[in-house]
Amino acid sequence: MKTIAEISITPNRTILNGDTISTANIAGLYREFVGDYPKFFKMDSLCKLGFIGSELLLKGINAEEKENAAIILFNRNGSLITDRNYQKTITDDNYFPSPALFVYTLANIVTGEIAIRNKIYGESSFYVLNNQDMDLMNDIINNTYLTSSPTFILTGWVDFDDEHNYEAKLKLVTK
Amino acid sequence: MEDKVFVTGAGIISALGVGSEATLQSLLSGGSGIGRITHLETEHDEFPVGEVALSNAEMSRMLNVGYPIDSLRTVLMGIIAAKEAVASSKLLPRELRTAAFISGTTVGGMDKTERHFKTVFDSNTETEDSYELKYNDCGYSTELIADSVGKFSLVTTTSTACSSAANAIILGANLIKSGIVDIAIAGGSEALTKFHLNGFNTLMILDKDNCRPFDRDRTGINLGEGAAYIVLESEKSAKARGAEVLGILSGYANTCDAFHQTASSENGEGAYLAMRKAMDMARLSPRDIDYINAHGTGTPNNDETELAAMQRIWDYELPKFSSTKAFTGHTTSASGSIEAVICLLALRHGFLPQNLGWKNPIKDDAIPVLEKCNTENVENIINNSFGFGGNDSTLIFSKFHKDNG
Amino acid sequence: MDNLILQLKNQIIEVLNLEDMTPEDIDAEAPLFGDGLGLDSIDALELIVLLEREYGIKLSNPAEGKQIFKSIASIADYVSKNRKK
Repeated sequence: MKTIAEISITPNRTILNGDTISTANIAGLYREFVGDYPKFFKMDSLCKLGFIGSELLLKGINAEEKENAAIILFNRNGSLITDRNYQKTITDDNYFPSPALFVYTLANIVTGEIAIRNKIYGESSFYVLNNQDMDLMNDIINNTYLTSSPTFILTGWVDFDDEHNYEAKLKLVTK
Repeated sequence: MEDKVFVTGAGIISALGVGSEATLQSLLSGGSGIGRITHLETEHDEFPVGEVALSNAEMSRMLNVGYPIDSLRTVLMGIIAAKEAVASSKLLPRELRTAAFISGTTVGGMDKTERHFKTVFDSNTETEDSYELKYNDCGYSTELIADSVGKFSLVTTTSTACSSAANAIILGANLIKSGIVDIAIAGGSEALTKFHLNGFNTLMILDKDNCRPFDRDRTGINLGEGAAYIVLESEKSAKARGAEVLGILSGYANTCDAFHQTASSENGEGAYLAMRKAMDMARLSPRDIDYINAHGTGTPNNDETELAAMQRIWDYELPKFSSTKAFTGHTTSASGSIEAVICLLALRHGFLPQNLGWKNPIKDDAIPVLEKCNTENVENIINNSFGFGGNDSTLIFSKFHKDNG
Repeated sequence: MDNLILQLKNQIIEVLNLEDMTPEDIDAEAPLFGDGLGLDSIDALELIVLLEREYGIKLSNPAEGKQIFKSIASIADYVSKNRKK
């Protein structure tokens, strides 16, 4: 497995291929590096985090290569923060559950958002693990090559607990 | 690399009953499991659902389990189905120790959370109720199911919405092909909750009558619940154990529709790619497919786009197809494995499940299986599972013949 | 009517998270879906919730929304005729 690019995003530091490129939060990163995708503001926090990571990693990669790529992401908390927010909207006696919020109570929507933005049609999976079990994650990534031949895989950890505790550790790998 | 993945066991619980035999009888008699809500505590009793008939207390007694499992419906159903799968495959405890257990779920322990959430939220301090919320964790419910069945070398959870169980099966097959394990028990479990009943209701895709997949006038889903697991095994291991082979998982694929968070693209690109790639892996041509167990949720969008994808591949004549969701309800994350077990029953017993509730075609020639009792020689079955997020997966099950096995 | 249009614009900006947009940016006659603001089916469902919560209007069939949600002006017209609060 060869790593082409990697990124780490935490609340106070974003490191792309070894260089600290920003100290902004997620919204700040959007304004600094993306800026042209208003749908970003409709996403929940987990999607925003995964989306920003993918934008920075996929810069400069052409559409043809992306078409047959795969997206395989992992985390611990699933979509818990959005689950909680949605739960509140159905617990209230005078309740108006939000359809837009419900959509994001699925953690795998983050792989979908990245696929929609980049027109990626290959495998997309989302796994919930107890911790960042590198052996298991590598097994799952290696296995993808058994049954399909993606041009590259966008993979890694993307977990959002709250605005002070989040982490994306994503990379692009080839066989 | 291991080439073939055998299916040597199956277990199921759904609105159609407990176990493979009860499920088979319900399918053959044409009796739907969909009815009024009895167990779920919700004000939305206007929606028919496919509930498992047993209460949590009844399942707990059946399994002889106590706290905390006795209040975790996803776990209770999961244990019942997983135990049946292991028993039907005649696996020994020592054989499980080197096996993988993979379960798909999105709801996890949400039903329990719903019973404690308001107290926790209102009191705003740590209480006994807040302790109960830890069971919400999807991964934790998988661990509880696995621990009740045996010791495994690897336990994990897939969460790709309504294709979760299908993707658990795909992961299990990949682990076998790569030689990491010889045996994988894979599937999914999902209980009905207020959370997703309300969610699907806000998306305005629940039908207040029994659902009518592939019918011109369909208006949406009936939600269901249940669990199912299949035992996947390498050829070498199955032969060494002298295991009975229920079928071969001959092909599979996972693709992304890359169109919208919840809606499918008009020409069903993701579904088309999933079916094509799975047939490529199985080295089958479209003419080899005898039956498609469609995702067929009964929503206007799913059925139209799934049909569009099918008609792109079979532009001459569609194979026999049906959705069994009018029998079971849409069991969301468990649907991939529940329908996999239904496909294996169809392969073994030579029949095609009918498409209940259907009256008029969406397009002239798109008529699903309608006969209640039919006998067919079925060799290859496509089983589709699509999830929000554009996660589209196809499994292909093929009949096992001793001479070519 | 102008007040209702402005109120609707503000409510829509808020519930649909149209960040960076002001009421002046939205043409009351312009299409909301497709080319215009580029809203999608989930946004339409959010608008149905908005009508119920703010104006007491219940739509049970999402297909009804198609005509009503053509533009801000058409929503304002429908709300003024059907509002319960």
